[in-house]
Amino acid sequence: MSNESHRISPSTNPYSSEDGSVRAELSAIDASIRTAALFFVVSAIGWLMIGTVLALMAAFKSHDPDFLGAYEWLTFGRVRSAHLNAMAFGWANNVIFAVGLWIMARLCRSTVDHKGILLIAGISWNIGVTIGVLGILRGEITSVEWLEIPQYATPMLALSYALIGVWGVMAFRFRKGDHVYVSQWYILAALFWFPWLYIVAQAMIIWFPARGVVQAVVNWWFAHNVLGLWLTPMALATVYYVIPKVLGRPIHSYYLSVLGFWSLAIFYNWAGMHHLIGGPVPVWLVSAGIVASVMMVIPVIVVGLNHHMTVVGRHREVWRSPTLRFAVFGAISYTITSLIGSSMALRSVNEVTHFTHFTVGHAHQGVYAFFTMVMFGGVYYMMPRLLKREWPSAGLISLHFWAASIGITIMIVALHVGGWIQGLQMNNSEIPFIETVENTVPWLKARSVSGLLLTVGHVAFAINFFWMLFAAGAVRSRQEPTLLTKERKPV
Amino acid sequence: MDVLEFSPLLPIILLGIAFFIVVVMMLYWSAKRGHLRDFDAQAKTIFTDEEPEGEISDQFPESRKSLRSRPGRK
Repeated sequence: MSNESHRISPSTNPYSSEDGSVRAELSAIDASIRTAALFFVVSAIGWLMIGTVLALMAAFKSHDPDFLGAYEWLTFGRVRSAHLNAMAFGWANNVIFAVGLWIMARLCRSTVDHKGILLIAGISWNIGVTIGVLGILRGEITSVEWLEIPQYATPMLALSYALIGVWGVMAFRFRKGDHVYVSQWYILAALFWFPWLYIVAQAMIIWFPARGVVQAVVNWWFAHNVLGLWLTPMALATVYYVIPKVLGRPIHSYYLSVLGFWSLAIFYNWAGMHHLIGGPVPVWLVSAGIVASVMMVIPVIVVGLNHHMTVVGRHREVWRSPTLRFAVFGAISYTITSLIGSSMALRSVNEVTHFTHFTVGHAHQGVYAFFTMVMFGGVYYMMPRLLKREWPSAGLISLHFWAASIGITIMIVALHVGGWIQGLQMNNSEIPFIETVENTVPWLKARSVSGLLLTVGHVAFAINFFWMLFAAGAVRSRQEPTLLTKERKPV
Repeated sequence: MDVLEFSPLLPIILLGIAFFIVVVMMLYWSAKRGHLRDFDAQAKTIFTDEEPEGEISDQFPESRKSLRSRPGRK
């Protein structure tokens, strides 16, 4: 056992067993999941690029309706929904399958023994998403937000997910050591929550439709929980893994991290009903949603405080790490967007923000500024360890970071400010409705500009990734790796 | 739907309650297995011999120029 590992008691650090046959080395685990993880990352980047193109089309159409207006399959309603589903089920789920399962494997010290099944399930998942997105563009859309994928594609998605998700559960079941790190809690819970949400929503809305407004209740129970009980826990699991790993410093308060997990698990499930404020549903149901939304302040503050205290005094190291630049940007965004979300659940605030671009800005802050930025960080950390290679270009990483962070900031500010003004004007009966629509145009144009910046960032990310993947010789030829340095750097 | 009639919502309400019960059971299980004790030790379980505590494990790749300018490098 090395001198460094003597800092940790062998009884509390299951990785440090002196018995080499028992110890599962991280490099062996990385090697076992390499093929599947690479497939998922390649798929995720492919969907990211497709989703970006669809997003640009939708953004330009929102202030210039004639743009590509001659094509029936590129009308706003279809393009916007195709963008959402390409990003949610293409980009987000694939990158979760890559980074989430990789972290789970490492923390469980489990090698992937039946990687062929994982790969086949991954291929099947992506075929399902492709059929679904093409179905949306063909007009076979369901009209239920976040569930627009046509009915015929969903069984394939559910089956594929079951094969992928069960692997994560099995890794946990047969983990080595009894310790459960907080990232494992988040990933394990999310692996159960997502299929539960998806199957219930599909059953009650699409396959055996419930009566009347119950569909709306189920719709927003699903749509809000997909963000809070699928994307959020996976991103938080990644943050809780990469921050301590990169800094070589344990999380500031493990107690707070556990408190954050359990309070999210208990409160978030109820929060979605705030989307139906003012709707024809029982008031107590909405009130319960509002209370739960406000209670979400607890896990948000707890998580934000914990992350901040872990990196405090290490800001230089954060800035020097591609992983932490993205992950910390995402973690800060989580705190901000969650607090805004809790306030949006209040009836007095919701009267202004409901049915406006404010909500769209809030969604993008959650899914992009938080989730996607964290996952970019996760990929930047994971890839060199999977491939044993450097990222080829520091310049492209910087370009990606600045384009993404400035781009999403412009979008969030534009949609929040524009949406708030829109809400105030819509509540003013003296202002004609068409005038409120026209007044949103400058803010929507700002969103299109931000979309162009995000596109630049995504292209830089994709170039750097495929350069790393395929230009192995050139990258390997460098004699002094920096990302995988073996040189001990005292902190 | 009658505004006082919310029986059609029963499935989703039952699901919410079931969800809540499962989470509470998970919490009980974790407490019983000792996961809510000795927090400091658990925070360190992610460090390994390959990636030990106290070592920074990620930074920007150095530029070609700075690599070339290093002493002893051709």
